Amino acid sequence: MLKLTPSKKRTIFFIAIGWALLLIGDRIGELRQYQGSFVAMYALAIASIILLTGYSGQLSLGHSALMAVGAYAGALSINNLHLHPAIALVIATFVAGLFGLLLGFGVARLSGPYLAGTTLALAVSLPTLANQFPILGGEQGVVFDVGLPPARFGENFSQYKWFFWISTLAVLIMLWLISNFVSSRYGRTFRAIRDNETAAALAGLNTGRLKVLAFAISSGMAGLAGGLLVMLISGVSPSAFPLSLSFSLLTGAVVTGVYSLRGVMLGGLVLVAIPEIADSLVTRIGGSEGFTATLPGFLVSALLILAVLFAPNGPGTLLHTFKKHH
Amino acid sequence: MIRNTRMKRFSIVSSVVALGAMVLTTVPAQAAEPGLTSKEIKLGISTPLTGTAALSYGKIPGAMKAYFDFINANGGVYGRKIKLVVRDDKYLPTLAATQTTNLVLKDGVFALVAALGTATHSKAYAAASLATKKVPDLFVNTGFSGFGNRTKYPTTFTVLPSYAMEAKIISKFVKDKFPGQAVALVAQDDEFGVDGVNGFAAGALTLTSKTLYPQSSMTDARAKALLTGLSAIPGKPVVILFGTTDVTALIFKAAESLNLVSKFTWIAGSVGGDSNTLLALGVKATTIDGVVAASFFPDAKDTTDEYVKAFSKINAKYNPGVSFDNVVLQGMNSALLTVQALRAAGKNLTRAGLIKAIESKGSKFASAALVPLNYSATSHIGYNGYWMGQLNAKGELKPFGGMLSVVTTDSTTGPITPSTFKRPSLPKNGIPTNS
Repeated sequence: MLKLTPSKKRTIFFIAIGWALLLIGDRIGELRQYQGSFVAMYALAIASIILLTGYSGQLSLGHSALMAVGAYAGALSINNLHLHPAIALVIATFVAGLFGLLLGFGVARLSGPYLAGTTLALAVSLPTLANQFPILGGEQGVVFDVGLPPARFGENFSQYKWFFWISTLAVLIMLWLISNFVSSRYGRTFRAIRDNETAAALAGLNTGRLKVLAFAISSGMAGLAGGLLVMLISGVSPSAFPLSLSFSLLTGAVVTGVYSLRGVMLGGLVLVAIPEIADSLVTRIGGSEGFTATLPGFLVSALLILAVLFAPNGPGTLLHTFKKHH
Repeated sequence: MIRNTRMKRFSIVSSVVALGAMVLTTVPAQAAEPGLTSKEIKLGISTPLTGTAALSYGKIPGAMKAYFDFINANGGVYGRKIKLVVRDDKYLPTLAATQTTNLVLKDGVFALVAALGTATHSKAYAAASLATKKVPDLFVNTGFSGFGNRTKYPTTFTVLPSYAMEAKIISKFVKDKFPGQAVALVAQDDEFGVDGVNGFAAGALTLTSKTLYPQSSMTDARAKALLTGLSAIPGKPVVILFGTTDVTALIFKAAESLNLVSKFTWIAGSVGGDSNTLLALGVKATTIDGVVAASFFPDAKDTTDEYVKAFSKINAKYNPGVSFDNVVLQGMNSALLTVQALRAAGKNLTRAGLIKAIESKGSKFASAALVPLNYSATSHIGYNGYWMGQLNAKGELKPFGGMLSVVTTDSTTGPITPSTFKRPSLPKNGIPTNS
């Protein structure tokens, strides 16, 4: 009997998911492919929050700004450096990661509400700052065009399927890397810092440096998610990264369960599905347009409250306790 | 190659059936057009219904619906009723992209109408693949001249005159009417920045002071500091406000509290000069009195205008509880244009036919505007001119100096010429009968 190490198991698991998504992608319509791409993108953004908050115990309200950094880096490398979109996405990841690293050094001494406040300020100011530099295209922004799907896939291979492939592949690779990372020594040291920073420091861990590292990696993930987001909406502009995006991601992370990466797809699904559910609810019971416009916010808030009350560690743990009791 | 004989027989029979069905179907071309049945035309609009932008523009879909309801009650377009699907994009690019995609893929609309905004709609256009799917994108509410690019936006028709046109016309007006006065420009740093400031440069207007601000960054304190600085300029300087209505209101209110209203001659651009919204945002009637503004529509309060009269009546009946203002006028006018476009495309409506119809007949459509429509096979830009007016304390816009003078121009270096345009009269009872 072949004995599999956990990391090999994980690799096989990710390949299986990739294979399943490939098959699913062929069987769903263009709208579902487009929504699926958003689910993947949100899942990655939520994972970046979970890594930061759940694993290393830092709270960021400014992830939309980090996504914007990655998005602009990606868009500029396509438009100004004429690089391949795949390389642009890699650059988006690294530039946002580097930005996070510098920011991390700046805010390493901050924690709790102070860190939250600093990142919040970043989320408010950074998109507006983009208006000040002509190269960033002002309010109009910069085009982010990955181009048409390669001709060898045939005539019927739609733009949306292409988006779906790019997003899911990029997200799967990133999540695979991260899940390996968090189950390594670093993951354990992150958790040690989260649970008791003083104890971790006494045990010989360089907590400051590790926290900066967590911030940088989380920023890199957010940067890639930002790059994917602006690929899906075909261009980057300051208003694509409102403060509400940061809060949505945080909500997604809480609903998913902030201490585990396992449920991130669920979080992405929630963010994409809520407006859909609201939409069909309103069509069924026949409400006004104002109702349609406000219902998603209400549903998200309700879900957030329910999650905090009944499953603070995510639906996975809920299932676990349910099993234990019965 | 089919080896199995049963299979072969089956495939021959099915081919014959399919061929027969194709021959027997009376209108095969129409079956392929999404959002279209013999009883209904489904149109879609992505526009802000919530958020700050909705304060000024949220009335557009309601006004359009009201006019479509009015047409539906009077027989529709060649027997088809118009259904308008409205989706809220909060004026955010991401939502505009997903909502427009929803309109096309989920709601299956035949065409899009009256989308709002430049940053939003440029993303939505590409994300929803409107070009490859050949979805008509009618009467987009933006003055950004970039949408005139036919290779990038082959199915788009814009309706508003460009910001560059407006800036050029204001430049000439200021030079003619206020010679020798210092001029200060306070403009929003976005598509106005690209378009409007270029227009002022093309209009060769000498600016004593130029302030560009990102839309979300203008605060009461900044406005006061700005006005205090400008008040040092001797004489009665002309201040041109080229931004959205909320910022225009903010600056007016700052001038009120600094007692500087009468220090300047105020000019408000068409985007920020809607008197109803300014008054609703708390600007005093005495402040608005005398403000110079550019417009291409008749004044929404001018009940002697036949279009305003007819639209107000429709609004009272089909859009109850909503006051009639410039935004409602704009919405109804876009709906009127849409109905004429659908009629012009004929009974055998197709997406390609609709685009062709606007190209060939669009410049002759009846519309409330006092400036001509510019549609042709080579131009998808709508209105191309303005008239300058002055607001009174009631918020009515009256022609400057008592004489209505409409001028037309282009977005680049073309001359500014007085218009001889005679507005087509309102179709009888407000119901188009064109073909």
